[in-house]
Amino acid sequence: MLEIRNLHVSIGDKPILAGIELDVKAGEVHAIMGPNGSGKSTLAQVLAGREGYTVTAGSVRYLGQDLLALEPEQRARAGVFLAFQYPLEIPGVANVQLLRTALNSVRRQRGESELDALDFLDTVKDKLALLGMDESFLYRAVNDGFSGGEKKRNEILQMAVLEPRLAILDETDSGLDIDALKTVANGVNALKHPERAVILVTHYQRLLNYIVPDRVHVLAGGRIVRSGDTGLALELEDRGYGWLMPESSAREEVRP
Amino acid sequence: MTPTLYRQALEHSSGSPHQIALRKVALERFFTRGLPTPRDEDWKYTALDSLERAELHAPLHAAEDWASEDHPGIVMKFGNGRLTDADPKSIHAHGLADHIDTPLVVHYLGLLADTFPGGAALADLNSALWQDGLLLHVPAGWKAAPLFLVHSASEADAMLHLRHLVVLEAGTEAVLVEHAQGIPELTYWHNSVTEIILGEGAKLTHLKLDEDSAAATHTSLTLVEQSRDSRYHALSIHVGGRVARHDTWVNLAETGAECQLDGLFIADARRHIDQHLHVEHAAPHTTSRQTWRGIAAGRGRGIFDARVVVQPGAQRADAQQSSRNLLLSPYAEIDVKPQLEIYTDDVKCGHGATVGQLDEAQVFYLCSRGIDADAARTLLLRGFAEEALALLESAVLAGWMEPHLLAALPIQRKEPIA
Repeated sequence: MLEIRNLHVSIGDKPILAGIELDVKAGEVHAIMGPNGSGKSTLAQVLAGREGYTVTAGSVRYLGQDLLALEPEQRARAGVFLAFQYPLEIPGVANVQLLRTALNSVRRQRGESELDALDFLDTVKDKLALLGMDESFLYRAVNDGFSGGEKKRNEILQMAVLEPRLAILDETDSGLDIDALKTVANGVNALKHPERAVILVTHYQRLLNYIVPDRVHVLAGGRIVRSGDTGLALELEDRGYGWLMPESSAREEVRP
Repeated sequence: MTPTLYRQALEHSSGSPHQIALRKVALERFFTRGLPTPRDEDWKYTALDSLERAELHAPLHAAEDWASEDHPGIVMKFGNGRLTDADPKSIHAHGLADHIDTPLVVHYLGLLADTFPGGAALADLNSALWQDGLLLHVPAGWKAAPLFLVHSASEADAMLHLRHLVVLEAGTEAVLVEHAQGIPELTYWHNSVTEIILGEGAKLTHLKLDEDSAAATHTSLTLVEQSRDSRYHALSIHVGGRVARHDTWVNLAETGAECQLDGLFIADARRHIDQHLHVEHAAPHTTSRQTWRGIAAGRGRGIFDARVVVQPGAQRADAQQSSRNLLLSPYAEIDVKPQLEIYTDDVKCGHGATVGQLDEAQVFYLCSRGIDADAARTLLLRGFAEEALALLESAVLAGWMEPHLLAALPIQRKEPIA
């Protein structure tokens, strides 16, 4: 489903990713772990199409297409979803407005009919229940005044509504207490499907107790330095990242 | 506009010889001052030279009903400055011209406008040339039904001087909605003066929707005098006119008086929309709130100038100003001038003002959900504008206003911002 080859990405003059190789097949869950500043979030943002990152070499193919040639909205309509590490607050725009506009854009792309307000509400109610969210969430402005946990649940709600083929969760576990973590994990697990792949970007092993990955990759210094199964995540939990770090990889976090 | 043209307009005025004499005095006062120019500090950003060059006349015809819509309340229609249609259900609202001799009007008319300290040339002109307007008088013990004043302009090159007087006696409540519109691209000048007197504990909600034609000039002055514990809530949506200048002047004269002045302007194309707010805290425990938003697109220009004065002795005054503005094109301009003048120690005052562009991070967030960039921008813009309506307590009024607001939003196409 996703083939990343020799991906090099810079922010301004500063190289962040230095030759990523990654294959994700339909039905798989991959975890990408790594210390702060290793380039995890950059990889997630580049896949979603965020401006401000320059791809200096390499390629990304998604379902046979050149993903990097697509605009962010085209990627989303083709089934790529990024759950943001820091979901944006959008005062004045109701959650329901965003969800319905987004779902109908995606449905148009799939050749499906648009949903009217009532049909949409039916669809979204099940998803709300799945995430233990009250219907009043729909009528609040997008993430405006939401707690950290509410924002993360709202990301998963959007994902559940849009039903992507490739879901990328960027540090979705950060800032969550254990109950919220379980709720979010349940939401993700409920979406598991043979035709769907999930990439979990995370700093900690904790989330992987609830969403069990097929593959675990360690990103350090802009490359994947080690891949393995869940055993690798447990080893990291024990030993930290230091033993895997290349000599010159101590980097500060860089954002565009 | 030559003095002759103004004098000719005066000949169309009606009234007793005494009233005509007063109008002539007011016109002479206007001639002494002349139209405001950018040399006046208060008019620094707004030039009325198009009026100087124009040849306008008093309206000759009452307007035909060229635009109709349902207004959720009692409706009074003014066509080209004259009352053309009044709802028979209206108990408290009347045409001002027909009630010019009543003791109430004799007592109150001009009370605020004639003593307005803000340089009142346009008010003088209005006093000289006004044709008609609203008299809303709510006697003690009443709560008035929502009243819609609909102003329609359909005569080219007409001067529409409207004069409104609103008197709410102690403990009363009213909702007044002013809706100004004109045939698209028609040239005319709408100059209104509204005097509002709120008795003890009276409450007025005052909505203004200015949708004047893109070739019109609209100048308006609203003067409010508030007694003890009264409340004035204004929400103004200014999206019309080629040149528009809206002045609001509120005097919180007695303890416990409270005003909330909210609004939104949209200056697109080549519109120039200037709003001036002035609040005087003249008594202790008075409260004022100002929450304004502005959008400028194309070559539009918007001005938000708001001054709050806390007079000596107005202890525990509480004043907050907020002005948030969006620039959507490199050629648009917004000037923001919030001012607090405080002459008392024990006050709670604050203001904040921002001018910025649509947040590209928000645009990306929406795009990452499958929404195309133009639709994302429109959604954000709409959200920004609709927050102004959220300040209304009445969902019915907000619902009536919403389509007007949406129709005025500039279409979003990505333009490089210099």
